[in-house]
Amino acid sequence: MKTYFERTISAAPLAVFRIGLGFMLLFGIIRFWSKGWIEDLYINPKCYFPFYGFEFVVPLGNYTYILFAVCGISALLFALGLCYRLASISLFLSFTYIELIDKSTYLNHYYFISMICLLMIFLPAHAFFSIDAKLNKNLHSGYVPAWTVDSIKVFVSMLYIFAAIAKINSDWLLHAQPLKIWLIARNDMPVIGFLFNYKWTPYLFSWFGFLYDLTIPFFLWNKKTRLGAYAAVIVFHVFTSLLFPIGMFPYIMIVTALIFFSEDFHLILLSQLNKLFKGQKEFISTSNNYAFKHLNQNIIIILFSLFFFIQLLLPFRYLLYPGQLFWTEEGFRFSWRVMLIEKAGYAEFKVRDAVSGKWVIVNNNEFLTKLQEKMMATQPDMILQYAHLLRDHYAKKGFEKPQVFVDSYVTLNGRLGRVLVDPNTDLAAQVESFNHKSWILSYND
Amino acid sequence: MKNTNLLTAKILILSVLIFFSCSKDKDDTGGNTGGGVDRSEMLTFIADDIILPSYAGFKIKMDEMVEKSNDFNANPTSSTLSSFRQAWVDAYTEWQKIELFDVGPAEKHTLRNFFNIYPTTIHTTATINGTNNGIIENIASGNENLNLPINYSAQGFPALDYLLNGIGDSDDAILAEYTTAPDAQAKLAYVKKVVDQMNFKFNQTYNEWTAGYRDQFVSKTSLDIYSSTSLLVNGFVLNYERFIRSGKFANPSGAMSSSPNAYPEDVEAFYKKDLSRTLAITAHQASVDFFNGKSVKTGIEGNSLKTYLNAIEAKDLKSGKPLVDTLNGQFKAIAGAMNTLNPSLETEIRTNNQAMIDVYSKLQTATRMLKVDMTSAMSITITYTDNDGD
Repeated sequence: MKTYFERTISAAPLAVFRIGLGFMLLFGIIRFWSKGWIEDLYINPKCYFPFYGFEFVVPLGNYTYILFAVCGISALLFALGLCYRLASISLFLSFTYIELIDKSTYLNHYYFISMICLLMIFLPAHAFFSIDAKLNKNLHSGYVPAWTVDSIKVFVSMLYIFAAIAKINSDWLLHAQPLKIWLIARNDMPVIGFLFNYKWTPYLFSWFGFLYDLTIPFFLWNKKTRLGAYAAVIVFHVFTSLLFPIGMFPYIMIVTALIFFSEDFHLILLSQLNKLFKGQKEFISTSNNYAFKHLNQNIIIILFSLFFFIQLLLPFRYLLYPGQLFWTEEGFRFSWRVMLIEKAGYAEFKVRDAVSGKWVIVNNNEFLTKLQEKMMATQPDMILQYAHLLRDHYAKKGFEKPQVFVDSYVTLNGRLGRVLVDPNTDLAAQVESFNHKSWILSYND
Repeated sequence: MKNTNLLTAKILILSVLIFFSCSKDKDDTGGNTGGGVDRSEMLTFIADDIILPSYAGFKIKMDEMVEKSNDFNANPTSSTLSSFRQAWVDAYTEWQKIELFDVGPAEKHTLRNFFNIYPTTIHTTATINGTNNGIIENIASGNENLNLPINYSAQGFPALDYLLNGIGDSDDAILAEYTTAPDAQAKLAYVKKVVDQMNFKFNQTYNEWTAGYRDQFVSKTSLDIYSSTSLLVNGFVLNYERFIRSGKFANPSGAMSSSPNAYPEDVEAFYKKDLSRTLAITAHQASVDFFNGKSVKTGIEGNSLKTYLNAIEAKDLKSGKPLVDTLNGQFKAIAGAMNTLNPSLETEIRTNNQAMIDVYSKLQTATRMLKVDMTSAMSITITYTDNDGD
């Protein structure tokens, strides 16, 4: 084992990954900004759904633009490898802060980026082909410990494999849901649209998607199959980006998968870039070794081990809860469950003055955006947060001891809708915790 | 080594292509989900056999009402008043068959706001933005701007309801308001203004439909947030939820606020007294017919939400019961319950409000199925941001 941690490889893969990730994130921020989503998602809404335990993360109003600017500039510095340590810390913090403001914007690939950025803080991705390395000859190194690159590969592999494990359920494999619903909705696409009118198409796509997720890390890792596997990565992700509104994710994965390529491949890539920018030959041909201080390396390895251990356990935490995961969504997030469920819901809240008995039915549009309402209506923890928000709002409006009840109705993967939350439970009196929410009605299927 | 990799990749791509093309031939008959999945055909039928003929039908009634209104204006007598009232009843009833098409020009011009916002505002003490916002203030002012949101409830069918049926205690008293009252001319002018506004707004929408929007409507076949199907269905469901369920039943019966506070004077066509049930039944039947794709021209069912849902096999995963059957069963129960109500929903609320609340509950059940089960099965998008499906 000791020899493994002493092994070194070219610093080029890590440098390419740094550049690729940095520019992708910069582009992502610009895209988000230009579509007006900063305003739509983080400034205009009247209320927000922070994550349990992260309630201190509050929206910043118009300063949100500054937050995004910081994030974008950090991504640029990160890509250039200028003030890398500071940039990577600031990139991680600003990006994660944005994602923690409102649950309704949660996407697995945002979480992926947050976690990758966290790892990158500790990795010497600036030791090669960076401005830092140009300015600091002591830093400039052609070789880094092999485990630094491997930890990225392991994390990416975990994402795919957990995504595959999540697909092992009867809805996905036996009923081809939710693809059955989603694909036919795209049957007017040019060239390939007609395919979605066939009954077997969603089954083929479901099984292909499952096998792809399950095997792609191994095929990428293996030198002999790598090129074919990468072609599959491109085809698969381009296909998903054409079919579904999943934004930057496919492109991030296409760039990320380059990390599996050989040292030579990355060196050639960087030497081409070097030529383009008329850099000196020595800039990409140093034989220096990047070495962590012994103690530092041990601490980082311990921290990384802990990180991966937690990452291994998190997707399985749902086993601690009773009931159907897709229904209760207890332990659903942070587990690489991507494109798994078509869920839609309806939640009508009744706020009652416990003293006088008067009550009102809430118009959700008064408090929530369409996205927030859609997300809230199917996710019990958000229903509870919203109920508390209503309780506090109506208490201010003169309701004494306000009680909050919800009339909820949710459909899951094409099943006829049914009631999600016990309509007789006063949600105002329920407390959020990691415990099972007993007021979620059971789902017998 | 590199050559073999490239070869592997080529073989992989080629085999996928071959697989697709072969399977296509093989399954051309057996595997296809059959007709009805073509949204372009559905939109064409809905436009040409339902929406446009419905608009044409309303135009006839609207023209009739304009004519009778002009007759009344030129010569207010009990005879012209009576014809005007009948034309108003006919047009108001016909309106229920087009209010649900809240898509395209109707949505752009917010047609409903100029036709059917009730209860109407007769008189208000508050003057907002220096403009008047009750019928009485508007008559007195004579230069009110009916395009302002504050005046939505002082125009359209509900305002005419008051002006034709509620402004006096008897027919003679009503007629006197337009003949011998000191401000009779101002009242006549206001009636004309309201009718002209309706006529203008409707023709604006109808003309845009025939002059280009129809083709655009039929061509936007995707299901994203700006597609025709998405806009049409969202408008249809919104109408069902907010203007049939809430407007006609929940609001006046008090089903959505602390009981026992009912608001019988908030029923549709309050001053006409015996029209409210007819309007509700007509509106609901129009929604059901639209759902089932009943042609307004031939009465025969064609491509519709029903055929589309059946074609994409929207059925309960557990019981296998088609969603369409579940919905039509609920529609039938609602129609049955509506038929037992008093022709005056105001009377029903005052004497037997529970019957109103029961209809509301049934409508609520159907609303959820339309809003949740149907839109989810059709994969209709309501948001525009990135999504990874959870």
